Amino acid sequence: MEPSETSAQADETVTVNLFVNGEPRQLQVTSNVVLLDALRDELHLTGTKKGCDHGQCGACTVHVEGKAINSCLRLAVMCEGQHITTVEGLARNGELHPVQRAFLDHDAYQCGYCTPGQMMSAAALLEDDRIAADDASVREAMSGNICRCGAYKNILEAVQDARQVMVSGTEGRS
Amino acid sequence: MDTQVIGHRTPRVDGENKLTGRADYTTDWYVDNMLHGYPVPASISHGTLEALDIEPVLAMPGVVAVYHHGNFPKLYRSPSSQAHQDQVSEVRLPFEDERIHYDGQYVAMVVAERYEQARAAAHALQARYHQDSGARPGLLETREDGRPLESEGGLRGDPDSAYERAPVKIDHVYAIAPESHMQMEMHATLAQWRDDRLIVHESTQGVVYQHKAMARIFDMPEEKVEVISHYIGSGFGNKLFMWPHAVATAAAARELGRPVKTVLSRQQDMASGGNRPASRQRLRLAADEQGRLLSMRHDSTTETSFVHPYVDSVGTPTLNLYACDNAAISHHLLEVNHGTPCPMRAPGEVSGIYALECAMDELAIALDMDPLELRRRNYSYEDPTKGLPWSSKHLDTCYDSAARRFGWERRDPRVGSMREGDEILGWGMATSSWTAGRQPCMARVELRADGTVMAACGTQDIGTGTYTVVAQTVAELTGVPLDRVEVRLGESSLPAGPLSGGSMATATTLPAVAAAVRAAIDELKEVATDEDAPFTGADPDGLAFRDGALADEQGKRVAFDDLLSGQKLGSVSGDGQAAPGDEQNQYSFRSFGAHFVEVRWDPGISRLCVSRVVSSIDIGRAVNPVTARNQVEGAIVMGIGMGLFEKLDYDPRDARLINNNYSDYIVTSHADMPEIDVELLDNPDYAFNEFGARGVGEIGLTGIAPAIANAIYHATGKRIRDLPITIEKLMEP
Amino acid sequence: MRTFAYRTADDVTQAVTTHGADDQVAYVAGGTTLLDLVKLDVMRPTQLVDINRLPLGEVETLDDGRLRIGATVTNTELAHHPEVKARYPLLSQALLAGASTQLRNMATTAGNIMQRTRCPYYRDASAACNRREPGSGCDAMHGINRMHAVLGVSDQCIATHPSDMCIAMAAIGATLTLEGPDGKREIAFNDFHRLPGDQPEKEHELRPGELITYITLDTPIEGAGAYYLKLRDRASYEFALASAGALVSIQDGVIHEARLALGGVATKPWRSHEAEQALHNQPAAVSTFEMAAEAAMQDAVPHEHNAFKIPLARQAIVRALREACKDAENANEPR
Repeated sequence: MEPSETSAQADETVTVNLFVNGEPRQLQVTSNVVLLDALRDELHLTGTKKGCDHGQCGACTVHVEGKAINSCLRLAVMCEGQHITTVEGLARNGELHPVQRAFLDHDAYQCGYCTPGQMMSAAALLEDDRIAADDASVREAMSGNICRCGAYKNILEAVQDARQVMVSGTEGRS
Repeated sequence: MDTQVIGHRTPRVDGENKLTGRADYTTDWYVDNMLHGYPVPASISHGTLEALDIEPVLAMPGVVAVYHHGNFPKLYRSPSSQAHQDQVSEVRLPFEDERIHYDGQYVAMVVAERYEQARAAAHALQARYHQDSGARPGLLETREDGRPLESEGGLRGDPDSAYERAPVKIDHVYAIAPESHMQMEMHATLAQWRDDRLIVHESTQGVVYQHKAMARIFDMPEEKVEVISHYIGSGFGNKLFMWPHAVATAAAARELGRPVKTVLSRQQDMASGGNRPASRQRLRLAADEQGRLLSMRHDSTTETSFVHPYVDSVGTPTLNLYACDNAAISHHLLEVNHGTPCPMRAPGEVSGIYALECAMDELAIALDMDPLELRRRNYSYEDPTKGLPWSSKHLDTCYDSAARRFGWERRDPRVGSMREGDEILGWGMATSSWTAGRQPCMARVELRADGTVMAACGTQDIGTGTYTVVAQTVAELTGVPLDRVEVRLGESSLPAGPLSGGSMATATTLPAVAAAVRAAIDELKEVATDEDAPFTGADPDGLAFRDGALADEQGKRVAFDDLLSGQKLGSVSGDGQAAPGDEQNQYSFRSFGAHFVEVRWDPGISRLCVSRVVSSIDIGRAVNPVTARNQVEGAIVMGIGMGLFEKLDYDPRDARLINNNYSDYIVTSHADMPEIDVELLDNPDYAFNEFGARGVGEIGLTGIAPAIANAIYHATGKRIRDLPITIEKLMEP
Repeated sequence: MRTFAYRTADDVTQAVTTHGADDQVAYVAGGTTLLDLVKLDVMRPTQLVDINRLPLGEVETLDDGRLRIGATVTNTELAHHPEVKARYPLLSQALLAGASTQLRNMATTAGNIMQRTRCPYYRDASAACNRREPGSGCDAMHGINRMHAVLGVSDQCIATHPSDMCIAMAAIGATLTLEGPDGKREIAFNDFHRLPGDQPEKEHELRPGELITYITLDTPIEGAGAYYLKLRDRASYEFALASAGALVSIQDGVIHEARLALGGVATKPWRSHEAEQALHNQPAAVSTFEMAAEAAMQDAVPHEHNAFKIPLARQAIVRALREACKDAENANEPR
C-alpha cells in the first residue's frame, strides 16, 4: 500500500493507518505522539515498555517493517502504512515464539520489564544473517537493551538456544 | 527435608505473562476517564520558588489543572514509622512550602487529558526562583563531615590501644560516589477515588507500607485505602517507601474527581526518586605478624537530603564479618542539596564491605600474605556482636570451592605479573555477606472445588520470583501440581505480607503460606468428617493430606476437589501467620559467600574489563535454584557497574544533577558481562525457618566491587579507593 | 514534547519548498537526535518535514569509483553494505561502534552528520549554553567537563562532536551534496562542520532550508589497512571518550599514505593532518606512531575533568595505527 501524504498542524489530530501484529489499525494522534505512546495509550498494547523515552535503554523495542527500532524515537505519524510487530505479536496461534520459549526455559529475565524489548531485539537478530552467530557478536548486537536486573547470561543462553530451535525448525520445513 | 518441588528448578509461574506482554505493571493500567499527571521539577537546588506563571499553561490544550503550593490541598505528614509500617521515603509533603532543597524537587504538577498535553504544559510552565548561594554539594565535594550519629556507633574491646601496639597496620580512606537505582520501570502511580475509597496502583516494593502511609496522609481509615502492585519493573530499594509523586497524584485525583496516572520521566526518577548516598569511610586495621586482626576501626560519613534524614548504615559489617576482639564503628551524616537517598540493594553493607574488603587486601599486602589466607585466619565462628553462634555458616566451603574453580592457586601475587599479549590479568577476591532477616507475615490459602489452590499474601514480586516460590510451597505441601496453584500477591487487601526488600521476602512469606496451607487442610478435614461426608465420624487428626487428597489409615482416599464438590462447597480456606521466634535468641543469622574476579588491563589503551567472576554463595536452601542463581548473576552484573561505571554527577557549583539519564549514567551493558560461574551451596538453615531459606537478593552485590578493586591493584599496582574506578583514575601515574 | 506541525514530502524539491528558509522548521528522517532533543525542550521546531520518502535510500558506486550514499540510508544498511565492507572497512567499523542495533536501524547517514553534541549543559534547557542560546555562557567550561573536547575548543564552547561514523568519513574524505532554496551545491566533508569559535551555535555550513542529499566518499587508498578504535567506559552503547580511525598504506615497511581522524576529543570530526605528516614516509613502527600521536595532540587544551583524554587519545592513535598497519600487511600478503 502506498502511504498517503500526511499533513498535520500543531495540536491537530490526524489519522494514521498502520498494521500492528498483522491487523490494520487506525490511530487518531497529534503529530508529537511517538509510536511507543501510541501503541500503549491508544491501542493499549502495553507489552512495549518505556524505560527512558530517549533511545537509551531499549525497553521500547518493536519491529517496524521487520527492523528492530526504539519506538520512543519514532513519531506515530511517520509510521503511516507501515507494519509493526510488538511483543503481543510474537506468539502465533497461541504458540510461543522460539525466543519466548527460550526466555522461559532459561529464566532470561527477572522483573520482566525490559523483557519485551530484549525479545524483540533477539527475534530480529536471529533473522538477520548480517549479525554473526558467535556469543560476542550476539552480546554486542543485544547491547542496545539494558537489563538492570542483569540477566544477561541467561538472555544470551536463551538467544542462542532459540537460534538452534529456529535453525532446526527451518531445516525441518525444507 | 525431602522435597518434591522446593529446592528444584522451577520455571517462573508468572513467566508467560511477562513474555507475552500480559503482565500488568502499574504503567500499563488505563481506566476510563483517566487523566495524566506530569510533575514540574525545580531547576535549582537551593532557594525559593517565587512565582509560577500558571495562566498560560491552564490555557493550553487538554490541561485540566496545575497543582502547586498555592492550591494544593492540606494533607498530613506520615509519621514514617517502620514499626507502624507507614514509613515513607520523604516525609515532606509535595508543595508543602516554597523552599527548594534539591534539583528536581517538584514545584508543581500539571494534570491534562493526554500524556503529551501534560508533558508539553509542564515544559511550558515558567517558574521564577530566588536562588540562594551556598548550595551544599555532595559529600565527596566537601570536607565537611556533618553531625555524629551515636545510634549508629558500635564498640567492643579497646581498638585504639590495640591499634597503637600492633606491628602491622593500615589506615586508608575509601569513597563511593552516589549511585542511582536505574530500575527499568520508573516510579508510577494511578490513583482513583471511588466513593470515599482510594485505590492506588503503584510500582512499589511494599503495598502494605504504602497503604498505611496513604491512610495517614489522607487521614482515612486504613480499610478505605487499597494499594495494588501486581508486577513491578524492579526497584532495588527505591520503591520500598512512598515518594511525593504518589501523594500529589492521589490528591489531584481526589480534587478532580477523576483517576490520575503519573509516570515519572527517567530524568525525574533519577533526580527525585532515590539514590544510594555517597559515603566516605576511613578504615584502620591492625594485625599481628601472623595476620590475626588485633583492631578494626571503621569511621563513616554518608549524605542525605535536607528533607529526610536517611542513614545508610555502612559500618556494621566491620563488627561481624571477622573475628576480632577490638572493633569500633562510628557514623556521621551530612545534609546536602541533592535528592533524598534511600536504601539501594544491600544498603549500607555493600558500601561498608567495599571499604572493609579493600582494606583487608591492603592489610594482606602489608603482611605479604595471600589475601584469601588472611580471611581464613580471621574466620568468625560466632557473631562477635551478639556472642551467638551462626545458625549455619559455610564460608570456608565457599572460599575453598570458589578458589578451586577460579584457579586461585595459580595466582602469581606480584603486581602486573600475569600477562597475555597486550593485556595484564589481575586476580582479586572478596568476602560477601548479608544479614538474614525475617518479619511477621500473614497469608491465606484456599482449596477450591475446581481442583485449584489459591495462595494470597500482601507481599509482592519485584522480579526475584516470589510468585514462583509461593506456588512451589503450596505445591510441595499439598501435592497439587504447579499449574493448578494460583498465587495472588501485590494487593494491600490481602493478608499483610512483607516488603520486598532486605532479602527477607522468601524467608518471611513462605512459613506463613505453609501455615495457611495447613490451616486450610485442617478445615478440609473438619468438612470431611462432618455428617454425610466421606470420612464421617473419623478423627480429623487421623486423616492425612497427600497428593491433593485426604486419606485415612485404611487407605480410603478422596481428592479435595471431589470432597468439596460432594459437600457442595466452593472452597475451604485457611489463614496462616508466622513470625521469627525464640531461635533469634539462640543463633545469629547471616549469609556468606566469596567472589573471585579476573580483570584484564590493556595498559597500551587504558582499557579495563572484568573478564571472569567465580562465586560461591551460601544462602541456606535455594527454594528455586533457577531464580536464586539469576539473582546472584544479576548482582554481579550490577556490581561491575558499581565498581567501574556508576556515579551520579552533580555539578559541585550548584548541586544540580548532570547525568540524569540512561546514556550519561553508565550501567553495565550486555557486552560488559564477564564469564560468570555462580555456585549456590545447598545447606538448608532449618534454625531460621522450616524451609531453611535465608534469601538471596542482596548478597551477590556485596563483595563484587572490592574484588574488582583488588584485582585491579594486582594487575596495575594502582590502589584506587574511590568508586567508580574510571579510566582517568587508572591513567593517573 | 511540545507540539509541531508535520508534513511529508515525496521528492527533494517538495521537501525544500515545504521547508522554506524558516529556521523553526526541521527535516526529520531517523529522528533519533531530533526527537530526543525535542523531548528535552532543547529543540523547539514549529514544523517537521519528513524526508523518509525521498528517493535518497540508495548506495551506488559512481563511474569514477567513488561511493555515493543517499542521505536516508540507515547506519545499519551502510555498515553492512558489501561495497562499504569491502572498500571502506573503516566506515563499517566506525558505524558498528556507534549507538545500538536499534538506533543504527533508525539513524540515517545525513542525520548522523547532523548529530548534536551530548554536552549535558546543551541538553539541559535551563543551563547556560552558548551553542543552544548564544551569549548565555558556557556551564561546561567550569562545570563537569569529563566528556568534553580538548581539540578545536574555544572560550565559548568545548562541546564534543559525538559521531563515530563522521570520524571514518573525515579520514576517508567525502563530498556532501546539498540542496536548498538557492539550488544545489557541494561541499567537502571536512569543511562542513565548523569549529565553535565565537559562534558555537553555527555548527555547520548548511544554509537555511538546505538539505544534505548525498554523501560521496572519495576513492579508497590503494592497499590501505584500516582500523577504528573506540575507547569508552563500558564495552558498548556509549559515546567515545577517545576514538581513532586510521587508514595506512605501506610500501616496503614505510608508510606511504596515512589518514588519521579522531573522535570523542574534538568539537568536530577531527582530521589530524599533523599526525599524517608525521607518518608520511616514516617506518611503520611504534616510535613513528608515538610521534604522530604527539603531533596530533600538541594543541590540545584540557579542562578540569578531561585532561586524561589527551594521553588517552594518544594511546588510541598509537594502537589504531599499529592495527591499521597490521591490516595493511595482511591485505598485501598473497592469498
